[in-house]
Amino acid sequence: MGDVELEQSVAQTEEPQQHTPSTASSVSISSSPSHSLPSSPSSGPYHHHQPTSSTPSPTHSDGPAIPSPSLGVISEGVTELTLVIDPEVAKKACQEVLQKVKLLKGEGEGSGFEGGCGPDPTLANGTVHNKPTDPVSVGGGGIIKPQKIHEEEDPESLTPGSVKSARRRQRHNPSKQSWLLRLFESKLFDVSMAISYLHNSKEPGVQAYIGNRLFSFRHEEVDFYLPQLLNMYIHMDEDVGDAIKPYVVHRCRQSISFSLQCAWLLGAYSSDMHISTQRHSRGTKLRKLIFSDELKPAGLRARRPPALTPFCPLPNATPALHGHGVGGEHGLSPTKRTHQRSKSDATVSISLSSNLKRTASNPKVESSQDEDLSSSSESLECENHDCKTGTPVRLTPQRDFIKSLMGIGKRLATLPTKEQKTQRLISELSLLNHKLPARVWLPTSAFDHHVVRVPHTQAVVLNSKDKAPYLIYVEVLECEDFETSSVPVRISETRIRSTRSVENLPDCGITADQRAVSFSTVPNYDDDNEAWSVDDIGELQLPEIHTNSCDNISQFSVDSITSLDSKEPIFIAAGDIRRRLSEQLAHTPTTFRRDPEDPSAMALKEPWQEKVQRIREGSPYGHIPTWRLLSVIVKCGDDLRQELLASQVLQQLQVIWEQERVPIWIKPYKILVISSDSGMIEPIVNAVSIHQVKKQSQMPLLDYFLQEHGTHTTEAFLTAQRNFVQSCAGYCLICYLLQVKDRHNGNILLDADGHIIHIDFGFILSSSPRNLGFETSAFKLTSEFVDVMGGLDGDMFNYYKMLMLQGLIAARKHMDKVIQIVEIMQQGSQLPCFHGSSTIRSLKERFHMSLTEEQLQVLVEQMVDGSMRSITTKLYDGFQYLTNGIM
Amino acid sequence: MSQVEKKAGLLRRTSSSKKPLKEKVVLMYDEIFAKEDPAKNNPRFWDELFLMKVNLEYLETKLECLDGDELMKTKDNVNSLFHHCVQTLAEEHQIKVVNALQTLCALFRGVHQKNKSASGFDIINMLMGFDKAEHRMKDLMESLDSLLCGEGSESLKALCLKLLLCLVTVTDNISQNTILEYVMINSIFEAVLQILSDVSSRGRHGYDAVVLLALLVNYRKYESVNPYIVKLSILDDEPTLDGMGLVVGQALTEYNRQYKDKEEENQGGFFSTLTSMVGSMFIADAEEKLSVQTNEAILLALYEAVHLNRNFITVLAQSHPEIDIPTTPTTPVPTTPTTPLGTTPPSTDVMNSSELPLDPNLQTSNLLITFLKYSSIVMQDTKDEHRLNSARLCLIILTCIAEDQYADAFLHDDNMNFRVNLHRMPMRHRKKAAEKNVPSRPLVCAVLDLMVEFVVTHMMKDFPMDLYMRCVQVIHKLICYQKKCRIRLHYTWRELWSALINLLKFLLSNETVLLAKHNIFHLALLVVNLFNMFITYGDTFLPTSNSYDELYYEIVRMHQVFDNLYCMVLRVSTNAGQWKEPASKVTHSLVNVRAIINHFNPKIESYAAVNHISQLSEDQVLEVVRSNYDTLTLKLQDGLDQYERYSEQPKEAAFFKDLVRSISLNVRKNVSLNTLSQDILLKEFSTIS
Repeated sequence: MGDVELEQSVAQTEEPQQHTPSTASSVSISSSPSHSLPSSPSSGPYHHHQPTSSTPSPTHSDGPAIPSPSLGVISEGVTELTLVIDPEVAKKACQEVLQKVKLLKGEGEGSGFEGGCGPDPTLANGTVHNKPTDPVSVGGGGIIKPQKIHEEEDPESLTPGSVKSARRRQRHNPSKQSWLLRLFESKLFDVSMAISYLHNSKEPGVQAYIGNRLFSFRHEEVDFYLPQLLNMYIHMDEDVGDAIKPYVVHRCRQSISFSLQCAWLLGAYSSDMHISTQRHSRGTKLRKLIFSDELKPAGLRARRPPALTPFCPLPNATPALHGHGVGGEHGLSPTKRTHQRSKSDATVSISLSSNLKRTASNPKVESSQDEDLSSSSESLECENHDCKTGTPVRLTPQRDFIKSLMGIGKRLATLPTKEQKTQRLISELSLLNHKLPARVWLPTSAFDHHVVRVPHTQAVVLNSKDKAPYLIYVEVLECEDFETSSVPVRISETRIRSTRSVENLPDCGITADQRAVSFSTVPNYDDDNEAWSVDDIGELQLPEIHTNSCDNISQFSVDSITSLDSKEPIFIAAGDIRRRLSEQLAHTPTTFRRDPEDPSAMALKEPWQEKVQRIREGSPYGHIPTWRLLSVIVKCGDDLRQELLASQVLQQLQVIWEQERVPIWIKPYKILVISSDSGMIEPIVNAVSIHQVKKQSQMPLLDYFLQEHGTHTTEAFLTAQRNFVQSCAGYCLICYLLQVKDRHNGNILLDADGHIIHIDFGFILSSSPRNLGFETSAFKLTSEFVDVMGGLDGDMFNYYKMLMLQGLIAARKHMDKVIQIVEIMQQGSQLPCFHGSSTIRSLKERFHMSLTEEQLQVLVEQMVDGSMRSITTKLYDGFQYLTNGIM
Repeated sequence: MSQVEKKAGLLRRTSSSKKPLKEKVVLMYDEIFAKEDPAKNNPRFWDELFLMKVNLEYLETKLECLDGDELMKTKDNVNSLFHHCVQTLAEEHQIKVVNALQTLCALFRGVHQKNKSASGFDIINMLMGFDKAEHRMKDLMESLDSLLCGEGSESLKALCLKLLLCLVTVTDNISQNTILEYVMINSIFEAVLQILSDVSSRGRHGYDAVVLLALLVNYRKYESVNPYIVKLSILDDEPTLDGMGLVVGQALTEYNRQYKDKEEENQGGFFSTLTSMVGSMFIADAEEKLSVQTNEAILLALYEAVHLNRNFITVLAQSHPEIDIPTTPTTPVPTTPTTPLGTTPPSTDVMNSSELPLDPNLQTSNLLITFLKYSSIVMQDTKDEHRLNSARLCLIILTCIAEDQYADAFLHDDNMNFRVNLHRMPMRHRKKAAEKNVPSRPLVCAVLDLMVEFVVTHMMKDFPMDLYMRCVQVIHKLICYQKKCRIRLHYTWRELWSALINLLKFLLSNETVLLAKHNIFHLALLVVNLFNMFITYGDTFLPTSNSYDELYYEIVRMHQVFDNLYCMVLRVSTNAGQWKEPASKVTHSLVNVRAIINHFNPKIESYAAVNHISQLSEDQVLEVVRSNYDTLTLKLQDGLDQYERYSEQPKEAAFFKDLVRSISLNVRKNVSLNTLSQDILLKEFSTIS
């Protein structure tokens, strides 16, 4: 009877998969003898379109019946570079393995599986421990062991009623069922589990199966775990690597963006290896393969419609453009304007070669120029690179763009003062502008776009003692697909004014080509007198905010100065003028003063929408409907791998809290690791650091809240206060769980809605700044924070503690998902946050799996009390004030 | 005639031979100036002529020496020479082209030199013949255009530009140069632009190209439609405009550098101690030393670009590193094997490199900053007429900039902060400000500083009224923008106020002298209205509430100046006379200032009396001011934020005519024979062919 039941339940779980397009590729897993072997190495992983999809078969039952190819065969095929595992073969291999496992287990006792899983005993132990306290381990826990299923009583589990009976049946019929496989094929099997199994399983078959299974997940889901995948690829054994590679290669072929991200991450995560092993490591090889651009979409399968190919610079067109001088120098006479579209692509590839030359001639820069590879591979890459400048290189413009941004950062670091840095930054960026627009984009953005301009005067250097991170704003035009959409036409800076005069013209529905035409005839605008007069400040129209202002009165009597006697004179009180002045000054508290030592304060304080509006008005591209403004922090000389790890944990916790309906607010921000010492960060808009707030406003935080949002009883203030509490609770938990250190006020932001946001996760887990032993408290909670929450006895403070408790309970419930992220990244890593041996154990302990909820509540109380009283927090702030001038 | 021969003889290298042998080319010239057709006997005459090295001096002197009638007799031959010159320009043989270009120069100059009195038409007739002139000039301009735009030698291009400059400046008054009519019809504008947009050619010929353009734009500017004006005003090609800006910027930077060098020379060493010992007697001498020849041609180019082309304004703010070092020794770039040879010509040009030089001491600069520094130097001393003209032109350019909305936007951009080290005149009562301490501020602060500096330093007997008017107008325009856009500039307005009050004081104390020459009431009205702007609209643009109090403090403190001014204008306006009306305007404009003084002075006195203080401190006065606002009523004056827009015609037309004339003379002097007959040039081509 058990058989029947099970077959049904599995069939049910499978059925929806057949219909959802996202899992279409999983269909190919279904095994039928006729498709058991890969047809040819070059056919790639695309078998979705084969008729298998229409003939789903009850996979679990025919496992033993089919004469499967031996494992040896598979591994042989996999080791070939381009050969991709055929899903069916993999599946069979997988089943084979599972069968073996089951046979072993059947022979042993109830716990026999542990023996069968021999190669990985620690893992099994780890999960077994947690089991009793984890009520919903299947739904939430990433790691599901066969044992877990045996003991599973939870109604949420995958096959509720049938578990016991199935087990019974399994005993009777050990060789017939594959539990693991059934789990893998269930709809509850998500990326998190896949990654977990990939990491923990030692069976090549299982790994190969999961490697294939990756194809069935949505791209975004897998992308989240990309650092984990790649770190496993680099640092784990051959089999894991082989299992992951086909998926990575497949995705690389599809997307430039993915290719670059992979290559960057591979470089960054390989950097901790010894230099000699690194050169020949798998990660380096794959990185080179990606950079060599051999992973282009194969000709026939190219997603790019043929009509669009002319937009790429043609190989024979490039030499001709070389003649025009290097460095994005543009065509000379207006007659050449028609070539501009293709030129924008080409100039970038030209500038690339010039960049390389220049860096090669400058030993100072060269030594630090390339990401982190040994010099030999660097030169190799250069050669590759240079030979290719003549041909349309997919990755080149973007790599070049990033390189020039990093180059700027490196050069800025050599300048002594902030002011010099800022000026230098502005002039460097204005030169960069000459090469834009191009087929480049900001990887931190969520939508496809082309970068058209960097409003260079808006860029600011951020506060840092010896590095020179800087924040730039980037104007982009949204597009369908940055690989295929044509690059926007350059509109020269000088045409701001002519485009401005046509700003109000309806521009929607005009294609890029039409627009190009309309802009090449710009001189037409100059002929009309109307366009001329716009620039006259005498006619400047400004929205009048103060209708009672006296200058309105003055506007209806211009000639009165000569006819004083004939007119009724208008009198005003001097006191009114003075009052208006101080009122207006008081009404604009949201602007910060310019501070040459802290240039970013003012730039960050400006409300984002106002900034967007302002920059849009000043931009020659501002009138285009798809115009967007993005911003990015370029970090050079900083290792962002820890930041990325923290960001992943934050994202995971955010999902968990959302899922568990805990109203905690946190703001994970995007991190792009480019190498082990460079990267980009997505800035948080409308937020300034508490240090900046205090320095600029010279008042306690609560007073600042009152000034910004209104008095205690106003709705605005209450909302801001609630936001503050909800975010504070979230970040306190995160600081505790991740042991985030270096929590001075420069690293805590306050946004316009009252949320606090912690940034800079440079010291987490096992590392702390200079190990001075400061910051021993669980998290940072100053009396100022408590004041904003309404004091120790206030409702909001209790709400804060309650949120902490709820958040901790929720996080504990899904601990595995959090641990997993960290654990995989520990592999092969020299990052300070993994220093020592107890990092993961300590992290697990901080989830306090063994405590009851009442005990947890006590714990939270204790932590809050401790943190508040903590003298070290104050000490650390004082220390930061003395050493870095941070208030 | 003998004089000519002597000259020819001197040029000969073999001075040992006693018998003066004539050069072959000189003989051929003589043949041309004979009455017969030189080609009659020798059909290859013209071919041979252009193979000879040109003897410019002989040719020019020959043309000069012939008197009108004689020349008319050789007209056909001269026409023929001109014709063959033009024809030869199209030849491939580069030596011939060079010789033809030089011969043309000599022709233009020689004929004009001779016929200073003659009308332009005679000259055209003499050179080309009336009937052929249009055709010949068309060919000439086309040849020059293709030479300038072609791939040919750079030296050849340089020579083409020299020829054009030579042609443009042959007459003192450019508008009388009728040959230019053909240059108007056959435009070489595009060729000039191409030179400016290309990195390498800009480096070598940019200066000449810009000067040429500036001059061409001024040809019959007011009388006819000048196509160069039209074309320049609609130019919107970014690289070209940038190129133009860079050329101007480099020329001005070079001037600033030279000045700085001389200044430093003067400061250190024996000389300075000597002058300080001897005293003020020789200060004039020292200043003489300091004056570097101003470059009005480049300034005129800047003016035309700013005035005519609204796109050029963006170029002003285009930042680039400051090029302070005379010729940045370009580190020889070892050509890596990966570089194809010759793609990057080594150049100091900024636009060329996408990476800026790595020097922490290098300040970022832009054309506007360079221009402001230049202005600060030029304005220091306006005694010399050249410098006065330069200073005037600087102020006119600033007026145009202050009127432009986009320019104002970046002048006031809080994100664009710069340290601008303006040159300040050393004065007895103030120390030379430590240059390093200039804070980094929005550019408008530097403009205001410059204006304040000018106001403070030019109160002299020979009062530059015109410059003062422009200066105060620039300030007014900037404040109008700030009021309109509600920009609260953090500027020490106090310095401006006290400078303006001192100016009023000066006007009062020199009333009789000044009134003989100038309408001082106009200036006084402008100054008082600036105060009225602050008084009635201060709430829209003052940075702090305190600054409004300080304004009152300053007015009350200096009340005597305003009192005296009022007395003076009242007196003048009650008397009948030419100043009656302007003076009465000032009387009316003083109403609020007087109200303030009359309101606060008794309050301050009573405060002092009540508290038994003889001398109130600033804080105490401010306290009184603050507590007594409410009882003061001001009268709203209209039109304070209105101003007349700058227009070149008709007010400035005379100035520009004179300026262009002096520039023409200067350029003509510089396009000397020496630069025309470059030996290097010939060497270059002798190796080629």
